[in-house]
Amino acid sequence: MRKGRVLRVTFGCNPNSSSLGVDVTFLFLGATFATAIALLLGAVLRWSTRS
Amino acid sequence: MKLRVVRARPERFGGIAETEHPRALLHVDRRMMRELGHPDSPSWNEDERSEAPLSAPTEVHVVLSRRCAAGCTGCYVDATPKGASLSLVDARRILDELAAMGVFHVALGGGEALELPQLFEIAAYARSVGITPNLTTSGLGLTAADAERCRVFGQINVSVDGVGEVYTRARGFDGFAHAERALRLLRAVKEEVGVNCVVSRTTFDGLGEVARLVRTLRLNELELLRFKPVGRGAGLDEELTPEQARRIYPLARRLMLRHRIRVKLDCSFAPMVFWHRPSARAAAFWGVQGCVAGDVLAAVAPEGNLMACSFAGATGVDARIPGNVRSAWPSSFATFRDFVGSAPQPCASCQYLRLCRGGCRAVASAHGRLSDPDPGCPRVQEWRAGHSPGRSRPASLALPVIPA
Repeated sequence: MRKGRVLRVTFGCNPNSSSLGVDVTFLFLGATFATAIALLLGAVLRWSTRS
Repeated sequence: MKLRVVRARPERFGGIAETEHPRALLHVDRRMMRELGHPDSPSWNEDERSEAPLSAPTEVHVVLSRRCAAGCTGCYVDATPKGASLSLVDARRILDELAAMGVFHVALGGGEALELPQLFEIAAYARSVGITPNLTTSGLGLTAADAERCRVFGQINVSVDGVGEVYTRARGFDGFAHAERALRLLRAVKEEVGVNCVVSRTTFDGLGEVARLVRTLRLNELELLRFKPVGRGAGLDEELTPEQARRIYPLARRLMLRHRIRVKLDCSFAPMVFWHRPSARAAAFWGVQGCVAGDVLAAVAPEGNLMACSFAGATGVDARIPGNVRSAWPSSFATFRDFVGSAPQPCASCQYLRLCRGGCRAVASAHGRLSDPDPGCPRVQEWRAGHSPGRSRPASLALPVIPA
């Protein structure tokens, strides 16, 4: 059975009225990196919930 | 590494989970929500790919006051030393409702929030109802005792629009030394301290110095906020030049790599980012998007008015009256939410429309109508140059035009 997925992530808290925008820290690393992080976060989230 | 989910709320696509260490908001699908132990939600009867807005904002900007002694030349809330402020009782009432709706964060600002005697009580109350309070401040007048009390906040950013003389030119007074002192005091008591820098025509060339300051003081982020011609800023000629608009995203990347700091751009910079054609999938995953007003974000003015964001006009809904925010949320921000479905050219044919959402609605509104494309978008500028009277052929566009 297909496992649950992380669809989107935003790190940190936003203290501003309008800064829910671009975290350039990760954007330039592209789609492959984003997919890998999604899988990793999903696995860690699942493991954290079980343990 | 273990991720502890501190709160989660269901959405039509699944849900949003908040974690700490690292602090993050994760959008997860329905299966993952079940794996996290959440029961099926009635909202899961809706189409999970629907473009409907979130059930509630994830963050609300609470403009605590229009009171500030600094008198910055471009203040977007037009703050004065005797401006209006939100009382502790009203703030508590609003926070109660936001907590019940599942809002995760509030951004407290002003005016100068530190001038308000009720600030720390409001922040503590937000914590008590499960909302993380974050703060933006000029840092003017911050004492060591104040800094100690600031532990109650999540992220605190101090406004530094430039180093030394650039600060003075941007804000109209010499306050850099005070801001730097505040940063040092805050950093001594907590890690989540950063810098807000309004990027204007004047401050653009000084961004490198600000990034160096962030690295030197070991701050956790540099947030670059686009200058918007609203409030007292409406009378200033400080919007980025077309060349600066094209350079801001590569510059932010360069500052990040050179100084090894986290750099964020606000949502109004989205058109300037998408003009460089980043991966749309990566952008969607990292939550990179244009105008989030009335969807991810909402704001409350010190007079109690609910707004789509703090740069937008009032809705006429008084957020201080219990139940008003919840009942207004589903239908009050149609002008913002409907932009993608009714976008004019050149937005309508842009491959990033669903992510960019036409850029900043506040800037568009300041120059014409709320439903216009953002005039600061490089693609919009190229398109308009190609369609101006006297031109027989459209100029080539950086992004391909997709046939309808």
